[in-house]
Amino acid sequence: MSIQISNINKRFDNFTALDNINLTIPDGELVALLGPSGSGKTTLLRIIAGLEEADSGTIYFNGEDTTSTHVRDRGVGFVFQHYALFRHMSVFENVAFGLRVRPKETRPSEEEIKERVHKLLKLIQLDWIAGRYPSQLSGGQRQRVALARALAVEPKVLLLDEPFGALDAKVRQELRQWLRNLHDEIHITSVFVTHDQEEALEVSDKIVVMNQGKIEQIGTPEEVYDRPANPFVYGFLGNVNLFHARVEQGSLHLENTELNTPDLGNSKEASLFVRPHEIHISVDNAEGSGIEAKLIGWRLVGPRVRVELETLHEHQRVEAEISKTEWQAIKAHESGVLFVHFSNARIYTNEASWNDYVI
Amino acid sequence: MQSEHRLEPRWLKPLLLGITLLFLAIFLALPLGVVFSEALAKGWKVYWESISEPDAIAAIKLTLLVVLITVPLNTVFGVATAWLIAKFEFRGKGFLITLIDLPFAVSPVIAGLIFVLLFGSQGWFGAWLSEHDIRIVFATPGIILATLFITSPFVAREIIPLMQEQGKDEEESALTLGASGWQTFWKVTIPNIKWGLLYGVILSNARAMGEFGAVAVVSGHIRGLTTTMPLHVEILYGEYLFTAAFAVASLLTLLALVTLVLKSFIEWRIGKKRSLAH
Repeated sequence: MSIQISNINKRFDNFTALDNINLTIPDGELVALLGPSGSGKTTLLRIIAGLEEADSGTIYFNGEDTTSTHVRDRGVGFVFQHYALFRHMSVFENVAFGLRVRPKETRPSEEEIKERVHKLLKLIQLDWIAGRYPSQLSGGQRQRVALARALAVEPKVLLLDEPFGALDAKVRQELRQWLRNLHDEIHITSVFVTHDQEEALEVSDKIVVMNQGKIEQIGTPEEVYDRPANPFVYGFLGNVNLFHARVEQGSLHLENTELNTPDLGNSKEASLFVRPHEIHISVDNAEGSGIEAKLIGWRLVGPRVRVELETLHEHQRVEAEISKTEWQAIKAHESGVLFVHFSNARIYTNEASWNDYVI
Repeated sequence: MQSEHRLEPRWLKPLLLGITLLFLAIFLALPLGVVFSEALAKGWKVYWESISEPDAIAAIKLTLLVVLITVPLNTVFGVATAWLIAKFEFRGKGFLITLIDLPFAVSPVIAGLIFVLLFGSQGWFGAWLSEHDIRIVFATPGIILATLFITSPFVAREIIPLMQEQGKDEEESALTLGASGWQTFWKVTIPNIKWGLLYGVILSNARAMGEFGAVAVVSGHIRGLTTTMPLHVEILYGEYLFTAAFAVASLLTLLALVTLVLKSFIEWRIGKKRSLAH
């Protein structure tokens, strides 16, 4: 089922949680609402669920206005960050809850309930702990039970609020993959909230980047990562080095050097965004136009080396991620002047225009 | 966990233990013994007669009536208030919590006086009440009102922190799963607070039976009509009928002992639940 969000506004006292949000979520997609805390993503999710009421605006499910439909009639499955399992019920009873509270006319028989619950417990690979209580389960197991419980009522939409936020790194990684596979299997329209860009990039079909109650960009993980719409998205989706420079008739003045760029006008301040893996370091400035810098420190991160430098003129920290081979070449010159080059960068001038810059 | 390094001298623990035991012996065990030995000083027959004479029976009946009315009312009030405070956000919440504690802070005698000033013959509503031939003060309704006031915080106090700690995630889950508000309340909220609720009810019950000060002010001490058990004990004692006084007092004491046992059982259950949850 598709979800359409139209002109949604929400304020809490003096704080604007959502500022005129418009968003369409196509049927069967897995969409991530990504943003820092306070960006309004959870509020938006809760408004979609009907757990929170918007000040103005409309929510459509499959084109039908559901803004004033009560949460229990919306047919949404909601998974909470802290699982919210019923602590006094066994795993089986938790999953069966949504079926048992139905009015007599639509309530399945006891055998049907049993069958459906066990089918779901098999789906989450936990049918062997049906009799246990939530307090006897690990965090990952609890979250899977919460998911099964939400799916038991056959919701048309699945909403997940930071579903893996309370889990440790390894379990989080496993559950992410598992959620992706599950979605590929059952194709239910799903929206999940996260502040973890890696999670959003890895799991979702589409990412909605939010900040301060507004949507900054909507796109596939690739689009959002490779073509961020603005500096915020660029900075939020991965580490970034920010340089301040001046543009002057097709060239960019930066530290000790000058780079050729498309004509961006005259005497303007510009910001230059470079990801750590887009930085090269040389010892001889053979390519020319390298920024002079000195080495501050380095660290092995798996197969790559994370190098920290400081520019000689503006004393700016630069983070670079280079290969081990490249590092070996530099290591000998550890104490000398090094040169920083960009293989790729994005330039942002005050007129809110983005320009790609590739050497 | 026993640490090798002692931070306090060796004699401190036995000393503190000694002081505590001595205190408990003098102020708890001894009076308890006195109550029962005095009550039975003239044998079981006199004991039985003391608690089965009409005025004593009337006092017991009145006390039970007061308990039967006040405890359920305060349970409903307590759950409603705790729910309001724990699950909703609104202005003046802190003030409301303070207000709930008010009966703890006010002297019971003052609490009784409030009702006399409101409903007594010289009180605010006195003229209107006597016009309509309604008696509140120096009658059962006054005793019930005073007891309600005194015992109103017990249930609410017990379950507010419990409900606040549990948050509203479980209730919200139940709603998204299609449960009605009523189903959510009975299947999710109540099971989660049942032990705390029971604890509050027991405390409230004990206090409702034992309340003296507030009830004494509004009762009027009409024997066989407006005397609850504690008041009956006082009257008998004032008339130098020590054995009878202690006999009725022993009933209240027994109730206190039962309350203590129930209280520790519930605390043990809650403790067990806690350790399971963590």
